[in-house]
Amino acid sequence: MKISLNWLKHYIDLPESPKEIADSLTLLGFEVDDMESTGLPQLENVIVGEVLGRQQHPNADKLGVCRVALGDAIGEKTIVCGASNYKVGDRVPVAIPGAVLPGGFTIKRSKLRGVESDGMMCSGKEIGAGEDAAGLLILDGRPELGTPINAVLTESDTVFNLEVTPNRPDCLSHLGIARELAARYQRELSYPAVDNLSAPGDRPSGEEIFKSVSVECEEDCPLYRATVIKGVKIGPSPAWMQDLLSAIGLRPINNVVDVTNYVLHECGNPLHAFDARDIKGSKIMVRNAREDEKVVTLDDEERTLSSRMVVIADDERALAVAGVMGGQNSEVKEDTKDLVLEAAYFNPTTTRWVSKTLGLSSDSSYRFERGVDPSSLRFATDRAVQLILETAGGTVCGPEHVAGSEPMVKKEVELSTDWVRVKAGFEISDEEIRDSLERLDMVISEESDGDWLVNIPSYRGDLDRPIDLLEEVLRIYGTDKIPSGAVVATATRENDNPITEFSRRATNYLVGQHFNEVVNYTLRSKAEQQSWSDSVSRMALGLKNPISEDQSQLRHSLLPGILESLRLNQSRKTGASRFFELGRVFHEVKGKVVEMISVAFAEYSLGRPRSWKLREADDFFTVKNRATLLAGFAGIDIGRFKVSQIVDDSTAWQEGQAALIDDPRAGILAEFGLMNLERIKALDIEGDIVAGSFSILPERLKTAKRVQFQPFSLFPPTAKDLALVVDQSELANDVVRSIEKIAQKATEGAFAMESIYVFDIYEGEGLPAGKKSVAVSMVFRSTERTLKDKEVNTAFEKIQNVIREKTAFEIRD
Amino acid sequence: MEEELKQIVGAAKINVGAVSNRADFEAFKAGITGPNGSLTKVVKGMGQVAKEDRPTFGKLINEAKQQVQAIYDIALEAIEAAEIAERLGPPIDPSLPSPDSEPGSLHPLTQVREEISRIFKQIGFTVAEGTEVETEYYCFDALNTPKDHPARDLQDTFYLPDDADFGNVSKNSDERYLLRTHTSSVQIRTMLKGEAPIRIISPGRCFRRDTVDATHSANFNQVEGLYVDKNVTVRDLKAILDYFFEQLLGKGTTTRFRPHFFPYTEPSFEVDFSSSHLAKLGSDWVEIAGCGMVEPEVFASVGYDPELYSGFAFGMGIERIAMIIYGIDDIRYFYQNDHRFLKQFA
Repeated sequence: MKISLNWLKHYIDLPESPKEIADSLTLLGFEVDDMESTGLPQLENVIVGEVLGRQQHPNADKLGVCRVALGDAIGEKTIVCGASNYKVGDRVPVAIPGAVLPGGFTIKRSKLRGVESDGMMCSGKEIGAGEDAAGLLILDGRPELGTPINAVLTESDTVFNLEVTPNRPDCLSHLGIARELAARYQRELSYPAVDNLSAPGDRPSGEEIFKSVSVECEEDCPLYRATVIKGVKIGPSPAWMQDLLSAIGLRPINNVVDVTNYVLHECGNPLHAFDARDIKGSKIMVRNAREDEKVVTLDDEERTLSSRMVVIADDERALAVAGVMGGQNSEVKEDTKDLVLEAAYFNPTTTRWVSKTLGLSSDSSYRFERGVDPSSLRFATDRAVQLILETAGGTVCGPEHVAGSEPMVKKEVELSTDWVRVKAGFEISDEEIRDSLERLDMVISEESDGDWLVNIPSYRGDLDRPIDLLEEVLRIYGTDKIPSGAVVATATRENDNPITEFSRRATNYLVGQHFNEVVNYTLRSKAEQQSWSDSVSRMALGLKNPISEDQSQLRHSLLPGILESLRLNQSRKTGASRFFELGRVFHEVKGKVVEMISVAFAEYSLGRPRSWKLREADDFFTVKNRATLLAGFAGIDIGRFKVSQIVDDSTAWQEGQAALIDDPRAGILAEFGLMNLERIKALDIEGDIVAGSFSILPERLKTAKRVQFQPFSLFPPTAKDLALVVDQSELANDVVRSIEKIAQKATEGAFAMESIYVFDIYEGEGLPAGKKSVAVSMVFRSTERTLKDKEVNTAFEKIQNVIREKTAFEIRD
Repeated sequence: MEEELKQIVGAAKINVGAVSNRADFEAFKAGITGPNGSLTKVVKGMGQVAKEDRPTFGKLINEAKQQVQAIYDIALEAIEAAEIAERLGPPIDPSLPSPDSEPGSLHPLTQVREEISRIFKQIGFTVAEGTEVETEYYCFDALNTPKDHPARDLQDTFYLPDDADFGNVSKNSDERYLLRTHTSSVQIRTMLKGEAPIRIISPGRCFRRDTVDATHSANFNQVEGLYVDKNVTVRDLKAILDYFFEQLLGKGTTTRFRPHFFPYTEPSFEVDFSSSHLAKLGSDWVEIAGCGMVEPEVFASVGYDPELYSGFAFGMGIERIAMIIYGIDDIRYFYQNDHRFLKQFA
């Protein structure tokens, strides 16, 4: 909101500099975003002088040597001047020695080409009054010699652009802000006097012009006042009013409209003036709009209304959208003679809804939405009437037309001063509390022993409870003076969330593996998500109200973002080859979308593009290992889950070169392998990319349990190797798992098979087409004794027999 | 005989010069002490030696054996040294860089978040987490935000479609899903789940429907704090934030409160800091955080007795703090992921 310093000065003395006032406003809770000064800055030693005579400078063609009168105190001086637009007898601003002009230019007594000069006669630009630098600023009206220039050129102002928080609609006006400054500086606030108006009962009747008001929707409009003024003469408003309105960015229109705007910005009450001629039937009705009722508002737009909206109407049509904007059909025009002046209290919620629905916001709706003070309608009306009579003439008529009544807003709050101290946590005396409240126009109507009954002024709709008063006490006491204290830190017996712990371990691992952490936006384009895979394209990840197609869907994976980082770094030749991200992704399982915590990484399989020494390429098994470790940080042993090759469905991964573990019951999803070569090429990335991701439902992450020690055998193991011929499509892990089961059964009760692992895979010569050999090593061990060859051999025989009988595997000799 | 032994040892001394690897050595050794070796033959000839000469010859043979063994040892040592040298290759050039990737790096936003968590952990605050998708109840209603508050507008907040169904984001009733605009929702869920005393910080990603520019981002990270206990005061809030900002921004950092308004705190303040360590900022007050005492209505909505409990909450932007402490002038750097940016914070 824009607030003019000159305007504030109508109500309160403010000798402080604009900067000091801005600081005060900020500390009162009205943050000043910026301030702009117009007109002349405060200048010392710049006064009015008159050119008494001019002689040619002896040494310079373009300079004159002038005698200048500067008033009785200083007398006459000689000043050298280069301008040529003046004549003898002109009065001009003169900077005498000691003056500091805008830009820091200091005036001293000096010699100019050999002639003494006692100062400088100034152009408008030199003193900061406009842009004219062509010649001296010739002053109109022959101001007194020696007068400080600020007293002559008074049209300076500072406009504060300040933020008024939504709880303080009472400060959406100059009087409201002046009231706050008065409280802070403990100064008198002078409200404009409106006591020179005739009493309503003494006013001539305006019945022939306007008859009555009525309100049909009392909830939307609890109070409506209409005042008739007849015989006005429309014309421009006075210059002082135009200056103030212009300063806060309003365009002066005519005396009546300017008065309504002026009063709005003076005391915060929106008003509206109708041309009485246009009110058909001479009656105003506040009613709900008819469905699809049309009205052309003052901004030249035809508005289509709905039945929840409220209009000011005459017998035939809507004249205004209540609280939002007037209609063109009844606006004040050049030939308007008689006015009906509206002052009303419209419901904040209704006004906000109407304004939002119509997409139409105005200074009026802004204030009604936040809540105006209904008890100030009368003052605002009187003030507007007074100013209209002053600036447009006319006669105010009776009777007063009032519909509804002033809502009861008398409020009292019980406050204990001890409670204030307990909540504040520091010593603040009863006197300081009293002082703060009274400076804000609150009245302590009853008190006993620190228990007070505080009367709240009608305009403070935000003060209902003791806690609200605490804030006011601190505000006036000075929130910048709240003392610090010792940090109180009692134990809370909590650990960081498991997500936090998991994130730390995962990121530490990947950073240790030379990965760079990236951060990408959560919202991705629909096209990208759809192209990722068929299953992703079917997920319901779209937003209801995206800002653009580019950012319209929740990300299903961190990998698209990471690939973008790879591409950007490749195109910018930064040399970085490994990236990862940790964050939230979204996935659909059985018709429900879930939010998962995910970590994903991608790297060039060949590492750095050029190096003096080649390293072995990172491949599927490198990224499988990484994914397995990452899952391990979440307490998940990925080896226990079914892993499958990613086929056809995906354009993200290279077919046959990537794997998937998807277990919705365990709430995990892992993918790893070689990224689709064509996709990578289409993304303009050169080189093969291997990548992986691991995602888990956050609720499945648990704080790690304390481990229980398991004793281990001190006896030596016995190993047996077995090569099996199996179908090429058989997964090695499936082979291992079935042998494991058989072996466990074969050794049950006697000793244990400690481990089983694949040590060789072979296909080719010596094997039938479509077959491969999987060689496993089984390690047997007992916790009680050294195993005898015989018992191990017996078990090994048994295992082989079962394999022959119960499986499709063939044992290779 | 003696002559013969001398010859054998002499020949061995000469021939060993041609031995350069293990195979050569084995052949060389076999030629002397192998089953058909020259020395073996002499030993075998002992049988024909007269009995009385045997001790002398035996002594000579032993001497020869020892000499041959010494030759073997030296040869073997040389071979092993050569083998190791071959395995190791030429000496390294220690000035060459590692061909492995450059060191990895933690994103500056993560570092700042971790630093904030570390400082708060010192004074008993632990990290709480919540989901990025939230519901209108936990994001607004429970935080005393009026029904028609502009923050709820479709222009300002991202919503999920009306028929959206989230498996792991619980609703209060049938309110809408949205992308959280602050992490205050975590405070609500933490208060509902637990009991006082509560001391948490909740860092995380938030969303506002802003157009991206130098200071606005499609998503941003925030950290909020909540402290609930009996008799928590405004002064405690000031003390905690003073402690935090001095730890974060260096000794001599001061803060000041300015009155402000938030629906979920009363009284509410904005926090400015001033720090001589951050030369770019000079001595001006710089806005850094918002805070206040927990609004009684918020306590009421989570079923805490406002007469019994009090507390405070605060919040700040992680990007903004990172920009201040690292001197970064454009928020978009955080989301571009240029390695030349990332590695500066490694």
